[in-house]
Amino acid sequence: MRRLALNAVALAVLVVTIFPVYWMYLTAFKPTRDIQAATPTFWPSSPTLDHFVTAVNAPGFWTFWRNSLLVTVAAVLLALVVAMAAAFAATRMRWRGRGAFVVMVFAAQMAPWEALLVPVFIIARDTGLLDSLAMLTGVYFMITLPFTIVTLRGFLAAIPPELEEAAQVDGCSRLVAFRRVTFPLLAPGLMATSLFGFITAWNEFAFVNVLIIKDQDKRTLPVWLSSFRDVFGTDWGATMAAAGLFALPVLLLFLFLQRRVGTGMTAGAVKG
Amino acid sequence: MRGRPFWPYLLIAPTVAGGAFLLLYPVAKAAVISLQHFRMGELIKGGAAFIGFGNYAELLSGDEFWAVLLRTVWWTAVNVVLIVVLSTAVALLLVRLRRGMRLALMSALALAWATPIIAATTVFQWLFQSELGVVNWLLVTLGLDSFRGYTWFADGDATFAVLVVLVVWQSVPFAALTLYAGLTTIPAELYESARIDGGTGWQIFWQVTLPMLRTLFALIVSLEVIWVAKCFPQIWVLSQGGPGDATTTLPVYAFKIARVLHRYDLGSAVAMLTVLILAVALISNLRRMVGS
Amino acid sequence: MKHRLTAAVAALALAAAACGSDAGTGAAPESSGPAKLTVWIMDGSVTQDLLKTFETGYEAARPEVDLDIQIQAWDGIGERVTAALASTDAPDVIEVGNTQVAQYAASGGVTDLTAKVADLRGEDWLPGLAQPGNIDGKQYGIPWYAANRVVVYHKDLFAKADVQPPKTRDEWLEITKKLNQGGNQGIYLTGQTWYALAGFIWDEGGDLAVQEGGRWKGALDTPQALAGMEFYQRLQALGKGPKDADEANPPQHEVFAQGEVAQIIAVPGIAARVLEVEPDLKDKIGNFPIPGKTPDKPGSVFTGGSDLIVPVASQHQEEAYEVVKALAGEEFQTDLAKAMSFVPNRTSLAGVLSGDEGTAAMATGAANGRATPNTPNWAAVEATSVIKQYMTAVLTGGDPATEARKTSESITATLNSGS
Repeated sequence: MRRLALNAVALAVLVVTIFPVYWMYLTAFKPTRDIQAATPTFWPSSPTLDHFVTAVNAPGFWTFWRNSLLVTVAAVLLALVVAMAAAFAATRMRWRGRGAFVVMVFAAQMAPWEALLVPVFIIARDTGLLDSLAMLTGVYFMITLPFTIVTLRGFLAAIPPELEEAAQVDGCSRLVAFRRVTFPLLAPGLMATSLFGFITAWNEFAFVNVLIIKDQDKRTLPVWLSSFRDVFGTDWGATMAAAGLFALPVLLLFLFLQRRVGTGMTAGAVKG
Repeated sequence: MRGRPFWPYLLIAPTVAGGAFLLLYPVAKAAVISLQHFRMGELIKGGAAFIGFGNYAELLSGDEFWAVLLRTVWWTAVNVVLIVVLSTAVALLLVRLRRGMRLALMSALALAWATPIIAATTVFQWLFQSELGVVNWLLVTLGLDSFRGYTWFADGDATFAVLVVLVVWQSVPFAALTLYAGLTTIPAELYESARIDGGTGWQIFWQVTLPMLRTLFALIVSLEVIWVAKCFPQIWVLSQGGPGDATTTLPVYAFKIARVLHRYDLGSAVAMLTVLILAVALISNLRRMVGS
Repeated sequence: MKHRLTAAVAALALAAAACGSDAGTGAAPESSGPAKLTVWIMDGSVTQDLLKTFETGYEAARPEVDLDIQIQAWDGIGERVTAALASTDAPDVIEVGNTQVAQYAASGGVTDLTAKVADLRGEDWLPGLAQPGNIDGKQYGIPWYAANRVVVYHKDLFAKADVQPPKTRDEWLEITKKLNQGGNQGIYLTGQTWYALAGFIWDEGGDLAVQEGGRWKGALDTPQALAGMEFYQRLQALGKGPKDADEANPPQHEVFAQGEVAQIIAVPGIAARVLEVEPDLKDKIGNFPIPGKTPDKPGSVFTGGSDLIVPVASQHQEEAYEVVKALAGEEFQTDLAKAMSFVPNRTSLAGVLSGDEGTAAMATGAANGRATPNTPNWAAVEATSVIKQYMTAVLTGGDPATEARKTSESITATLNSGS
């Protein structure tokens, strides 16, 4: 009975959560004529792949795809490595200025990136870094870094240092102890943070819009996603198909991480 | 290793270096711009003149800024409370579900989270369309005939409500999944002993779960405060801050000023004040950070 | 392919000739290759085929130039153009909307082409395109093409209701009422089609904003402007256009394609979009000019369109101007007007449109074409959607006079915000 009620609630949450996403994919499969039908249809009566064809055949699709993957993965990995080091120093070591450092990192979360568009553009222009994927990666790295440090620090703080110390007593070096004992326990933290970083960088439009000007081959997927609009309005079928494809990598990443994290991560492990 | 003090500094060096060039430098530049006469002409040709605190004076002396600020506080409070309550409920639900259902719900959450903001916003715009929208259709089908052709985006409060639904829908997945990850790190033994002691569900939540996840909750609350307060594209796409000023929050206001009117100087001043206000609002959290 | 081969051969021949003539000095920088010119064209302005033909032909005639025509998406274009103007190596030619060109021209980032007006035969440019590109007597924006709205109608529904295209506004209301029956919509007019409202206001003798002693003033609260809004309201009620949306969302051609809408207000080029959605409507789409108050004069319309600009930061000023000259020249203008159903940039070229009903209706209306208030800040008024919100407020029961006064004040503030 209790199980049934629980599942019913879960189902309701699932429906509410998934409905807008379902509507997005549904629209992508509907013929244009059905998209604005007077009575809504909840199932495509005559599904079509036309919108996906339009989306994939849009100019630069594959180049944008490659750039996005390159920039996003580079920014996320860089942020993870840099953040791991900083979070380790902030939780496991005592040093002058630690408190100030943590406050600064936390404050960096509040960075008004929308308002930094103009200053970042000016800096890029004056240092010859316009039309550069490296600059773009740097910006995305910086947008995600504070969050990554703060979250990793939170997860790291939840793992008792005694575990590492015990391993060190057993003769491991500090680095080895961290890698063997703490790192696996950090898995959920890594999952949450890397997903967050991935989604943030993957979706970013404002910066790529002004940092990549003349060299169109360096633009990223959000540019493609917003390209199905002209003076008559937006081709919603194509946009929804594009958005559906656009969301796929994030979902795949989630499912992949979910499997990796699902095994070997149990509550008992924390207790050691 | 503990005896050598340079290690921690070496470990934070990349963070500091990156932050200095890509964050502090632009912020400093924005601060300078906020003290200048800096419009489209100055952006293109350079040669901005220094005008002191004129931009700040212009902002703080007008009524509009304060009205926008108040609205932003209200907007943030409503959203954050809803997000935290709902995501906690979903996280607690997740740990109680069997594997299959749990994975399905988590995938749904991930899917919602992964949906590009522009696509999600557009879908919501459709759902709430007056003539062809699913929401009105559903309400009328359920017998609420007053919603036939109801214009959600003509009324300030209705538009505000639609935006809250959208932002909560987009924000719950991250918070719920993070809280769920936190819940799984609570040793099962703690729950067992609490249950043996005769604790009810609520008591266990308040006495075991909440204290264990206190830092995580503090973190999520402060992150959501920051994100919701800074939330922009959804509002701009759906309502451009309207009707009237009903949904003009600080970031929308800053955007209108900076990138529509091309008053980058005044926009930078708004951004500086926003950061200041956020910092003050979260100061207790900052204190706790230093303390720990 | 064939074109490209011809171009390559021509290029080789010319390069050889150039080398020959330079042989004496021996200083020719042979390795530098042709100058690469970047041209930004908005998505949907020109068909891919036409652009390709232009590019091939242009490069064949001028082997010293390598054209890189980049199609620009609409989202974020304002920031992108601003960034381009502010960069050190900007695109060489940019297409900008005629309501946007003034703000760029005023920024100092656009090359002054006043000296070239005669060379471009600017004596009979469409004023709706030439004026916004002109700041303080200097011509920065070069008119490219225009398009104005007409009434696009469903011939079958007109036949079924036994009505003819109207000649006056009163007739228009009358027939629309007849058409608005039996599940059909007389007109699908969304609540925020503001350029239609602008036309009605101009017909009444009002304006969106007026200049008084160097200061701009929002004018929606004048009796004339309120009369225009009242007509809009009466017309809008004769269909199911959503009161809180504009014509692009949902795209009105998709709604028209459902076959239950008798009329929409749009540029004639929209017919192609309708047919993409519903090919069965072929030969069933007609056009007539927006009716005026009297039969002898069609309604005023907003002239939409584009100008071409050369950024100061372009590294190839001379070559860039040559491209502008070709794009604004008679040959390309003729091709463009025919392919896209646009009005060419010069009134003397209007003849190329004869023979097509849609463009003929447009040309009739164009005689009464008007532009938005000529100030760099007008773009900001558009971007903040205040006029759209005003329309929604009135259509959903707000007091027109109060709402108009509020909106006019907001427009006044925006237009007088310095730059």
